[in-house]
Amino acid sequence: MAEKRILVVDDEIRIRDLFSEVFSRAGYMVKTAESAEEALEIMVKTPFMVFFLDLNLPGLNGVELCRRIRKGWPMSICFAVTGYASLFELSECRDAGFEDCFTKPATLADLLAAAEHAFTKIERWKKR
Amino acid sequence: MKVLIAEDEFISRTILEAILTKWGFEVVATNDGESALEAMKQPNAPQLALLDWMMPGMDGLAVCQELRTLKSRDTVYLILLTSKSERGDIVQGLEAGADDYIAKPYNNEELRARVHVGRRMITIQNELREWEKLQGVLEMAGAVCHELNQPLQSISGYSELLLLDMNEDDTKYQMLQKIKSQVDRVAQLTRKIMKITRYQSKPYAGESRIIDIEYSSQIKKENDYHG
Repeated sequence: MAEKRILVVDDEIRIRDLFSEVFSRAGYMVKTAESAEEALEIMVKTPFMVFFLDLNLPGLNGVELCRRIRKGWPMSICFAVTGYASLFELSECRDAGFEDCFTKPATLADLLAAAEHAFTKIERWKKR
Repeated sequence: MKVLIAEDEFISRTILEAILTKWGFEVVATNDGESALEAMKQPNAPQLALLDWMMPGMDGLAVCQELRTLKSRDTVYLILLTSKSERGDIVQGLEAGADDYIAKPYNNEELRARVHVGRRMITIQNELREWEKLQGVLEMAGAVCHELNQPLQSISGYSELLLLDMNEDDTKYQMLQKIKSQVDRVAQLTRKIMKITRYQSKPYAGESRIIDIEYSSQIKKENDYHG
């Protein structure tokens, strides 16, 4: 079975470090990017399928990044993690293609459950 | 809504007071310009005023001029009662700061219509003010939540990670758990602030209103304003 890889995009290094630590401990391979532009560059070289995206990113925001990821890689699963819940409406996030939306501070249990759920789905798709 | 009357003549004042009370206004009656101005300077003063132009001492025109020089107060809507009806006088009254005028002798229907225009203008202005206040509140909520939730995520996340590594019997485990629970309390606070996404007020005591927190924090419908 291929390794389960997660791309975390957040402009704040402390959040990137924390999420790396959490997902690595749970056995996932994690890569981080500090902007949408960097994330898209990474995607061109090595595609990921599961994403945790901050919504308030400098330059291209998280909602727009999600739209582009979902357009280019329709099977990908994106989760939003936002510091301010009202920044974007939940309906707007769903419309952009987000699987779910978490407000910071999110519990590790919620984040890990989201990742597990995503990879379970992907495994099921592969068996079709 | 409160309305102020400034009229020196007893019978006119009494009639005006009776009519306005009948129409549902809370009337503050004064018999000269000085006491009208004083009443309009009080806290929670009327925002709507009917001022007789011709009064001994300070006349209605002077009251208008004075009121317009006052800064940082609620919107006031001033109607001059005048027996003068020459064009030039009307212009002078409006330029002095009156919003409207009624020529005496007036007819009750016209008086009612003009007073209602004033009430409508004040209501619109007050709503605009409340809306502007909400924008300030929301901007503050956004800044606070953004600035607080980032560090909260780090503190809460690393506490959780540390707890996973520790033995539950360890006293440090228990201390860390206390830290974590207090951090969660702050997180609950930011969640509460973030739930105010729109402004809906409800009547409270008398004519004052308070924010309907229950309604203001409900999930917005699809056709609502997207901020």
